[in-house]
Amino acid sequence: MATTTATDVAVGPSPSLRRRRSRLARRNALIGWSFILPNFLGFALLTLVPILVLFYMSMTNWNVFGTANWVGLANFQRLVGDGSFRIALFNTLYYSVLHIPLTFVVALGLALLLNSKLRGVAFFRTAAFFPYITSIVAIAIVWNLLFSPDYGPINEILRAFGFANPPGWLTSSDWAMPAVVIVSTWRDMGYYMILFLAGLQTVPRELHEAARMDGANAIQRFFNVTMPCLRPTTFFVTVMLTINSFKIFDLILVMTEGGPGQSTLVLSQFIYTKGFEESQFGYASAASVALFFLCITVTVAQFLANKRRSA
Amino acid sequence: MKRKFVAAAGVAMVATLALAACSASPAADTAEASGPVTLSVSGWSVATTPEFQLLADGFEKKFPDVTVELKEYDPVNYNTLLTADLAAGSGPDIITQKEVKFVSTYQEGGQLLDVSDVEVPDGIGGTQAYEIDGASYAVPYRQDSWVVYYNKALFDEAGVAYPDGTWTWDDYADLESELSTALSAKPAFGGYQHSWQSTVQGFANAQTPKADILSGDFGHLEDYYTRVLGMQSDGGQVDFNTRNANQLTYQGEFGKQKAAMLPMGSWYVATLIAQQASGEADTFDWGVAPAPQYDKKTTGTDNVPVTFGDPTGLGINAAIADNKVQAAKDFLAYAASEEAAQALAAIGITPALLNDGVVETYFSVAGSPTDELSKFAISTHETLPENPTSTKTAAIQGILGDLHTAVMSGSEPIDSAIKGAEDRVKNEVGLD
Repeated sequence: MATTTATDVAVGPSPSLRRRRSRLARRNALIGWSFILPNFLGFALLTLVPILVLFYMSMTNWNVFGTANWVGLANFQRLVGDGSFRIALFNTLYYSVLHIPLTFVVALGLALLLNSKLRGVAFFRTAAFFPYITSIVAIAIVWNLLFSPDYGPINEILRAFGFANPPGWLTSSDWAMPAVVIVSTWRDMGYYMILFLAGLQTVPRELHEAARMDGANAIQRFFNVTMPCLRPTTFFVTVMLTINSFKIFDLILVMTEGGPGQSTLVLSQFIYTKGFEESQFGYASAASVALFFLCITVTVAQFLANKRRSA
Repeated sequence: MKRKFVAAAGVAMVATLALAACSASPAADTAEASGPVTLSVSGWSVATTPEFQLLADGFEKKFPDVTVELKEYDPVNYNTLLTADLAAGSGPDIITQKEVKFVSTYQEGGQLLDVSDVEVPDGIGGTQAYEIDGASYAVPYRQDSWVVYYNKALFDEAGVAYPDGTWTWDDYADLESELSTALSAKPAFGGYQHSWQSTVQGFANAQTPKADILSGDFGHLEDYYTRVLGMQSDGGQVDFNTRNANQLTYQGEFGKQKAAMLPMGSWYVATLIAQQASGEADTFDWGVAPAPQYDKKTTGTDNVPVTFGDPTGLGINAAIADNKVQAAKDFLAYAASEEAAQALAAIGITPALLNDGVVETYFSVAGSPTDELSKFAISTHETLPENPTSTKTAAIQGILGDLHTAVMSGSEPIDSAIKGAEDRVKNEVGLD
C-alpha cells in the first residue's frame, strides 16, 4: 500500500484516477482485514474480552452466581497477606529458575548433537520429540513408577552407584519439585530442540570456515560464531520457556497435585483451587492478574535486554 | 489457566447447546400451565451409574404426564461444569447434589429453591446436610456410610476369627498386623487404606467427641494419624508412598485379595458384586463389618456405631419454570420415598431411607453377603456428615488435604502439620 501512495504522489494523477486508486486501496485493505478477521474474531472473543473481564473481576468478590460487588483492591491486599499465595509464588519461581536454564542447555545440546550429518539422525530427532507429543497422563503414571522411592528403577540405579539414601522424589517435600523439573525438562526438550535446529540452519557456514582458518577451536567457534548467530532463536526460546514455566499447571496437577503438603503448589494451581474448588472467582482473578503481571514484567525485561544487546 | 478456563467454558457451552437442542423447547412448556412437562435432571456417567435412569423410569411410570430427561456431565468436573451452566442460566431443572460441600455455594448464590415443603419419609438419613438456616434446599435419596469390608477366605487362611463389630481402631490396627504376618507367604496385607484424606480424617472428625473442622481446631487428628503411620511402618498395610507411586486402586487391592480388610464407603458393595460377577475381581466370600470406633462406648451390636458419609440429594433450580415446580417437587418426593428406596436397594445402592424392608431388598441381591453382622453394618449406624454445610468447608478441606499428603508421605510430623493447618485456616479462611 505504501508503494501505491508513493507512485500517486510521484505521478500526480487526475482526481478521478486518485479516487479510483483510493477505492482500490480501501478494497485491498478490506480484503486484508477479511483475511485476518476469522483469527482476530476468535482472539477477541476467546482471549481479549475474557482478559479484560478478568481485570474487572479481580476487583470484585464474584462467586460465579449473582452480582459481582466492587471491592476495589481488597483482593490484592488479601493476596499480599496470604501465606499460600506466597508459597505458590515462591514455588513457581523455584520451578522456573531450575527449569528454564536446564531445558535451555539440554535442548541446545541436543540440537547441536543432532545438527550433524549422522546416519539415522532423523530417527534420533523424532525420538527426542516424542516426549512432547506423549499424553501427559501417561507421562505422569510412568514417571511416578520410575520415581518410586523403594522399588523405582531410578533409586535402584542410584543405590547401585553407592548412594545409600537416595532421595524420596515425589514423596518428599524437598525433592518433589526437582523431580517435577526433571520430568518437565524431559518433556519440553524436544520442542525447543526443534526450534534450535531451525535456528542452526541459519548460521552461515562461511563464518565457521573463516573462524577455523583464524585458528579458533570448537569452543571458541561455538561462543563467537554459533551463539551470536542464534540470538533471535535463543531470545524466542527464552521468552517462551519463561512464560511456559510461570504457567506450569498440567504436569503438577497430574504428578503431585501440589503435594506433599504444599511443596509443589504453583500459581496456576492456586488460581484453579480458589476459583473452581472454592468458588472465589474474584479472588482467583486477582491471583491471575498477579501472574499476568509477573509474566509481562519478565517478558518486557527480556525484550529490553535483547534490544540493548542487538543495538 | 486462561486456556483451561476457556476450554472448560467451551466444553460447557457445547454440552449445553447440544442438550438444549434435543430437549423440548422451554417456550412450549411455559405456554401451557398444565399438561405434559419435561424435567431435566443432572447426572454423571449415566451408563455406569444406573440410579438416574432407574429414578427417571420409576417416576415416569407414576406420573405419565412428566418426561424426565437426564442431562449428563463429566463426573470429575461435575460441579465445575454445572456451575458454568447455572451461571449461564442454562442449568437443569433438578440439580443432583454430588458433593455436599457445594450445596452452600449454590444456595448462597441463589440457585436452589427452598424445598422444605417436600414430604420425606420418617427415618430417612442425610436431610440435615441440606439444611441452611432452618430451610431445606435438597432431598437425599442416597446415603453412603463408611464400613469395613473383609475377605472371609483370607481370614480363614490366616486362622483369625471374623470381626464381630466390637473393635476400636487400636483393635483394628492389631488385627491388621496379625493378618499381615499370617498372610505374608501369600503375599497379602492385613488391610488396605486408600490415599484419600477421608480414610483418616473422615473417621477422626466423626468419631472424636466434640470434634468440628469448622472450629479450626485439629488436635483430634493426631491420634488417628499416629496410629495409621504405625500401621504402615509395622507392615499392616502398604504405605502411602508406594500406593501413590504404583497408583493402586482399592478395587484392585481388595478384589484381587491383596488385602484382607478395607475401610470404604457402602457404594463399594454394588461394585464388588458386579466385579465378582464379571470376573474383574476374584470370587471369594466377604462380609461387611461396622467401622472401628473411637472407644468401647459405641462398639458391639447393641450399640450404634458412629461413622461418616455424605448423602447424595436432589435440589431444584431456582430458575425453574413455574409450571414445572410441582412436577419437580413430586420427583424429589418420589426419589426419597420407600418405593424408590426399594428400587435403589434392588440394584445395590444404599438409599437414604433404610427401614427393614429396604435392607431386606438390599441383601437379596445375588452375590451380597448374608451374615447378620453385614446386615447390622449396613443398616445401623450414626452417620455424621463428612462435609458440614458451610461456605468454608471447601477451603478447610483443601487445607486438611495438604496436611494429609504432608503427613502420610512422611515429609512433615503430625504435630507441626496440625499447627500449620490451624494457622492456615485462621489466616486464609477466617473463623466465625
